[in-house]
Amino acid sequence: MAPTVDYHCPCLAQLSVPPPPHLPSSSYSFHPLHTLFFCEECDAVRCNRCVSVEVSGYYCPNCLFEVPSASVRAEKNRCARNCFMCPNCRNTLSVVPSDPPDPGDGRLHIPINTIGEPPFFLYCNHCRWDSAEVGITFEKPTGLAGQLQKFEDSAPESLEFERLKEHFEPVVRASALSSSTGNAPAPPSSTRVRTNSITAAASAALARDIPGVVKYNPLARSARGGGPSKDKDKSVNRDEMPEYRSRVDIVSASAHGTGGGEEDVEYMRHLESVGEVANLEQRWGSSWAVSLHTADLKPLRIPLHSKRSKRCPACAHILIKPEQKAQSVRYKIKLVAANYLPAITAALPHQLDVANAESTKRTLAKSTSVAVTDDDRNVAGMHAGKTYPFQLALANPLYDPITVRLTVQRVHASAAVPSSSGRASPEKPRRPPFAVSLPSNSFPIAAFAEAWEYEDDEDDEMFGLDDDDEFGVARVAGREKGDTRGKLKTGILEKKKNVTVVGGEVVIGKEARGNVKFNMLVSYTYRSDDPSPSDSNDGESIASKVATKPPETKTFAFYTVVDLGPIIPREEPRVEAEL
Amino acid sequence: MDPPIYYSKAEYIETDTGNKVSRRATIAGPQNIILGGKTIISSAAIIRGDLRRTGAGHAVVISLGRYCLVGEGCVMRPPYKTYRGNFNYYPMKIGDHVHIGANSVVEAATIGNHVEIGKNCVIGKFTIIKDCARVADGSIVPPNTVIPALALFAGSPARFVEDLPESTQDNVETQTKRYYTRFQVLDQ
Repeated sequence: MAPTVDYHCPCLAQLSVPPPPHLPSSSYSFHPLHTLFFCEECDAVRCNRCVSVEVSGYYCPNCLFEVPSASVRAEKNRCARNCFMCPNCRNTLSVVPSDPPDPGDGRLHIPINTIGEPPFFLYCNHCRWDSAEVGITFEKPTGLAGQLQKFEDSAPESLEFERLKEHFEPVVRASALSSSTGNAPAPPSSTRVRTNSITAAASAALARDIPGVVKYNPLARSARGGGPSKDKDKSVNRDEMPEYRSRVDIVSASAHGTGGGEEDVEYMRHLESVGEVANLEQRWGSSWAVSLHTADLKPLRIPLHSKRSKRCPACAHILIKPEQKAQSVRYKIKLVAANYLPAITAALPHQLDVANAESTKRTLAKSTSVAVTDDDRNVAGMHAGKTYPFQLALANPLYDPITVRLTVQRVHASAAVPSSSGRASPEKPRRPPFAVSLPSNSFPIAAFAEAWEYEDDEDDEMFGLDDDDEFGVARVAGREKGDTRGKLKTGILEKKKNVTVVGGEVVIGKEARGNVKFNMLVSYTYRSDDPSPSDSNDGESIASKVATKPPETKTFAFYTVVDLGPIIPREEPRVEAEL
Repeated sequence: MDPPIYYSKAEYIETDTGNKVSRRATIAGPQNIILGGKTIISSAAIIRGDLRRTGAGHAVVISLGRYCLVGEGCVMRPPYKTYRGNFNYYPMKIGDHVHIGANSVVEAATIGNHVEIGKNCVIGKFTIIKDCARVADGSIVPPNTVIPALALFAGSPARFVEDLPESTQDNVETQTKRYYTRFQVLDQ
């Protein structure tokens, strides 16, 4: 497995320091860079767990029809056109005529088009379920949901729900009325319900999305607390609801195919094959309790999907705002972390060498499948008690050059990982069982240039050198030119375009096991409020600007967790492979 | 950082627009196939440009955009059906930055831009795959399925699993471009 680098979102943390990598909570706090957002107002990273989400539009995932929000409720959040899901395998059903024309060549004809004789029925291309099995056929191949509407509306559960809504409607309306008149006296402090914007928003959303649910209003409820006034009396009465009589008794309900009760027990007793019982997944998506019998499953209208916009939880600024069109992949607003934070990829050179050898071998051997031999795997792994170099490639997404400093987070005061060049003394037996060293100096990364500036110009070496001259990085110039690649060095190994590769080293203890996984603090300094720094070819002006006025710089720091992969423990008997 | 993927010069033909086509791929009816440029057709792939619509004149059967990859052993075959009693093949259109993993069989009608199809998939006839969608390895997409934009589909039959992140388009674009740069002649 390739080494991974995940980024920290501080939303779960009490402190600004992330949990140490060996705790399970670590994986909840770190996310891949491409899933993160960045709020410019708060100057902070946001993740999918902390952003507030709003629906900006509904569409059917099959016919891609954009459903107006007004009709979503009436259509019960499912497609009201011709899209049905196979109750057996969840595939999309197609409409076929009952009498497919015989191709005459004796082959099995798979009906796929809608031209033909009525009655039409729904057919699954995948599992060959068809709706004629459950007695659903159509006179014409269009407006199927409309034709099925009467079945849906006459279902006992649906009728029951409608009756329930009707029954409670006066109560609901009365409470809505009293809350809107607003003459309720101040409630006693003991019963006061604190309201906040989140509860209000949630109740508003609930009222909108679920038909018949009225906005939750804490004042209206507390107003019923009793008292001698006329208004109060009415509200007391309101609590005493008239008794509700259901249409069908629950005991006899199972006879109507709704499941439950004696009926099912009897059915299960005489079961001959497991396939006769609909599994949970097949019944899960249904709106009502459905029968246990596979043979009774009905086609389902496809649930709608939504496009969502996302907001920063702290300042409510919009981070993601999709275009209105459902199938457009463009965004009006898209503040993703990848455009702000340097992208870091980790690699282990000794694994790359193996991979290289592998690919070369494959090309030469002209064979499409060469298995990775055991020997290679041993070489590619990390053994306890050895020292391995690793590389971190940092790519700068900003139009300004940045200066980066990497620090390994201390895990415990007792078993400290030295943040700079020193090697950890192995006499501390506590974790971490490995020591990581990284270049302690800060190092520069050149500015990002548009892709077309690179594209026709494949001469990377030239480009890299140009950049160095521009920003006057004499300090590292000597080291990066020779082929430091392959030699086990910490420091800057390579600079190319907007990517700088730095080398680190990990010393693995003799008794080590688990993964080489450590937290790393990345802090980078960039120039802020620079009017036109984007053109990196215009090197001289930038260089002079840097030289003349002290640039207004800003520093942003974030945590990452670097997972270099598992350690192969010593104890395991194996052939020692020489590198 | 990523190591180059080497191929031998003898095996691949490179066109003026940067397409790299393996000599060991089976390209039937090449006059009916359009490659957008910088597209790689790997060895043992089969592309059936010969299955064209009946009727006179020139017909484009399969068109692929830029930076596409047809993996090793893939089969690309235009979809067919009998409509009003006439059997016919229908063209297949594939957008830019589309990667198709090894040994997949594709009979889609349309595949949008920035789509990733995994290894060992079967994409059924007349499937429509919208932009930035992804089909996981080993999925079976039944005929006539529609895969909406930014959706991950997996399983047999392939079903919606989750929405892909907002940055998918950029990620796929960088990845396909990088793949093309990594795909190099082996110097011996």
